[in-house]
Amino acid sequence: MELNNTKIIEMYKTMKRIREFETNASKLFAEGQIHGFVHLYIGEEAVATGVCANLREDDYITSTHRGHGHIIAKGGDVKYMMAELYGRQTGYCKGKGGSMHIADATKGIIGANGIVGAGQNIATGAGLSAKLRGTDQVCACFFGDGSTNQGTFHESLNLASIWRLPVVFVCENNLYGISMHQSRHQAIQDIADRAVAYNIPGVVVDGNDVFAVYEAANEAIERARNGQGPSLIECKTYRHHGHFEGDPAKYKPAEEVAEWMSKDPLPRLVNYMLDNNILSKEELNEIDRQINDEIKEAIKFAEESPWPPIESVVEDIYTDIVEEVEK
Amino acid sequence: MKNLSMMEAIREAMTKKMREDPTVFVMGEDVGAFGGCFGVTAGMFDEFGAERVRDTPISEGVIIGCAVGAAATGTRPIAELMFIDFATVGADQLVNQAAKMRYMVGGKIKLPMVVRLPLGAGTRAAAQHSQSLEAWLAHIPGLKVVYPSSPNDAYGLMLKAIEDDNPVIFLEHKLLYGIKGDVDENSKPIEFGKADVKREGKDLTVVATGKMVYEALNAAEELAKEGIEVEVIDPRTLFPFDKETLFNSVEKTNKLIIVTEENKRGSFAGEISAIVAEECFDNLDAPIIRVCSVNSPVPFSPVLEDYYVPNAGDIVKAAKKMF
Amino acid sequence: MKTIGIIANPASGKDIRRLVSHATVVDNNEKINIVKRIILASQGTGVENIYIMPDTFLIGHKAIEDLKLSKELKIPVDILSMKIQGNLNDTIRAAELLEELEVGVIVVLGGDGTLRAVAKGNSNIPVIGISTGTNNVYPRMIEGTVAGMAASAIATNMCDKYNSCIRDKRIEIYKGSKLLDIALVDCVISKQTYVGSRAIWNEEDIVKVIVSNAHPAAIGFSTIVGVRKIISDKDDFGACVNLNVGDKYYLAPIAAGTMKTIKLDEPTIHKVDERFDLEFDFNGIMALDGEREIPFKIGESYGFKITRNGPIRVNIRKTIESAQEIGFFACK
Repeated sequence: MELNNTKIIEMYKTMKRIREFETNASKLFAEGQIHGFVHLYIGEEAVATGVCANLREDDYITSTHRGHGHIIAKGGDVKYMMAELYGRQTGYCKGKGGSMHIADATKGIIGANGIVGAGQNIATGAGLSAKLRGTDQVCACFFGDGSTNQGTFHESLNLASIWRLPVVFVCENNLYGISMHQSRHQAIQDIADRAVAYNIPGVVVDGNDVFAVYEAANEAIERARNGQGPSLIECKTYRHHGHFEGDPAKYKPAEEVAEWMSKDPLPRLVNYMLDNNILSKEELNEIDRQINDEIKEAIKFAEESPWPPIESVVEDIYTDIVEEVEK
Repeated sequence: MKNLSMMEAIREAMTKKMREDPTVFVMGEDVGAFGGCFGVTAGMFDEFGAERVRDTPISEGVIIGCAVGAAATGTRPIAELMFIDFATVGADQLVNQAAKMRYMVGGKIKLPMVVRLPLGAGTRAAAQHSQSLEAWLAHIPGLKVVYPSSPNDAYGLMLKAIEDDNPVIFLEHKLLYGIKGDVDENSKPIEFGKADVKREGKDLTVVATGKMVYEALNAAEELAKEGIEVEVIDPRTLFPFDKETLFNSVEKTNKLIIVTEENKRGSFAGEISAIVAEECFDNLDAPIIRVCSVNSPVPFSPVLEDYYVPNAGDIVKAAKKMF
Repeated sequence: MKTIGIIANPASGKDIRRLVSHATVVDNNEKINIVKRIILASQGTGVENIYIMPDTFLIGHKAIEDLKLSKELKIPVDILSMKIQGNLNDTIRAAELLEELEVGVIVVLGGDGTLRAVAKGNSNIPVIGISTGTNNVYPRMIEGTVAGMAASAIATNMCDKYNSCIRDKRIEIYKGSKLLDIALVDCVISKQTYVGSRAIWNEEDIVKVIVSNAHPAAIGFSTIVGVRKIISDKDDFGACVNLNVGDKYYLAPIAAGTMKTIKLDEPTIHKVDERFDLEFDFNGIMALDGEREIPFKIGESYGFKITRNGPIRVNIRKTIESAQEIGFFACK
């Protein structure tokens, strides 16, 4: 299952695109250009990338409040994403969802989600739908360590297991449920342990190593596609920023931060690629420059896009009813 | 034309749609071979099998959440919860997911799903199995709320609910499951937002939902003996709500009583009252009266429960205050 | 010294082989229970002091706390004073410390990977391995109570140590004259280039397998040699075999529940202490006892040597039998 160079470079581009998007989002938030709650994925790029690199366009993902990375990895367009963060009419959600609710049904992205753990239930539904329609589509369900204490986690793993649904549950264990360290929010260290209770495979992988994530996801997705049912992949990772932008994350010990910064998934992949002559330093710089331009263009697109018209406030609630716009 | 109970009418409608459309399926606790808590899905398992009449674990959250995911990806789920009271367990999935998903993503996803919620008091089942929570649901933009009172309405409204591309809450009063009526199986789906005038009258308008429609009709019978002609309107859907039929009636009668089985405080009856007060005030000759349940949890003892729920006598008493 | 050490690896039993070979998850709370049973069995049979490796899940702390709460703990049990890194280095460091403390025996909860780390940190103290990992050639599936009794018999000198313990072989890997790393059972040379999910399970990329021991019943990559030639712990040699060479096919259980058909050359025997060198004409990785560890580049050359520098392994059954003979279980 050795990955070819094209695929490795593709994965690098995705990770870099996420990093660049998020770094800019952070800056724009600090400058007051974008508003609301913005939860950034910086540090966790290898997870979304390693999983989505195994998915087909017609496969599904469900995402979380920290969803930008998943959406980019599944093929979401950074232009429409950025416009949505700006609350503009051209955004993915026409400015009605913002950072936490981006979806692109044409790419199988059935939504980021502002409720912790809610995506797990929805993912089982997508899996059930694929099964009932007789397709071999798979749904990858992303969620954090914090959500594994929600009832939804247990209900979903149970249901997916008894119905053998094609769902791959991908836990991004970034060590914190908001500000609460994992050791304080649950009596286990490996969330994969919980797979035993639902009679499904549970594995732990280094979530900061895109190859490790890729390999585990590859096996789990194949399993799901072949009708063998769900699995739980726990990716040990770390969010470099606070829970949301504006959270100084004082609850994180400096030593811990330093240790995880040294395990940053991006430099690890860069070193691997240069080391194995997968690309040259010049080629790498060229990719980085292109991605930088892409994000700049996305920001420009967002800034130049119009605000949504007031009448649209009552549109898209139903397929067939438009509510009164009058207050 | 067939003489069916309300339960049979709901079943017939679901069965018809499942025969027509392979993406329609039923899921819920004990809906399979057991036939559903109240027997609504009885026999459907035999025809459609375990794949399309799916027994779920007792997990109300994932029943609704799974329906959301399935609806978003090309199927038309009909989810049953045993009691509306259990919707509180799955409230996030109903309120934050089903109702809002389409809006939050800018209309890029549609959710053709039905959530069936048996409700109502009168079964001596006490406070956690007897509530009427329709106001909560009607409050949430993104949901449509249907509440039939007759087998024929239930049949036509269920056909429409399954065809609808939005989340539809289908309320079924438990005490009405056995009520019989003629159902035209070849009839068209009933459009949402069209009230039904169950009895015509010129002196007083009574709006009632669910089982209260029958209490209102009994009260009308009683009042007719005293020369008061009552018009009984069943809105049939709480959202969309048919204002026009109601306003036309109030214009004629100039008096309005609203009867629902909810606790009065914060009820949908209050919403109807507000609509008329805001938009039809000049046609009123008397203050609006709401006849609802008392503001208590549903009690267990038959003596208490019978008192708790509004009945024809309560309506007659209220009406007499207006004349 | 009537002391024992316990090393419990919190990360064992969760790798990708749960997906590829029907292995089961071993949860950490069960590891706490096993540690408690070791403590109870050994304190009940004469051990006076126990040291436990600290770990990120606090297995040792939790075992001690539970036994204090149930009022069953009778002897001092200490957590080793060391900084936790949350990786295999913790096990190596703990083994070093336990060797310095001159404990009578080290009980290890983990798989082949954990035992390999223990062997890197300690070579003089006997080791008992309890399998809580996946591919376990080295540690055994054994009840904690039994391991605790055997540990106690060794630590209290109440058994025939000479016949109960054996000095194992190991594979030493050199870069030039520098000892780079070791493997206890097998070193697999693969054409994969990245560490990825660490475990190795795909035979298609494997070029060579070097083994210190080989037996068809010792599930894992050493069976690739074992299905052609059995090499026991008493044999003063190991072997190296090339895959996808020749015209003979063999079935080998390379992972739990995984029988593979493999084209196999005749294994070459390598005597203990005789170094042989390999120069690679491809980029690849060496997996040591089942885990991808050492990436190498085309043109690089490495030395390999089978030696008797492996850990001292306790034969649990023999230990307990000889203990019984000399009155270990007799009450005073």
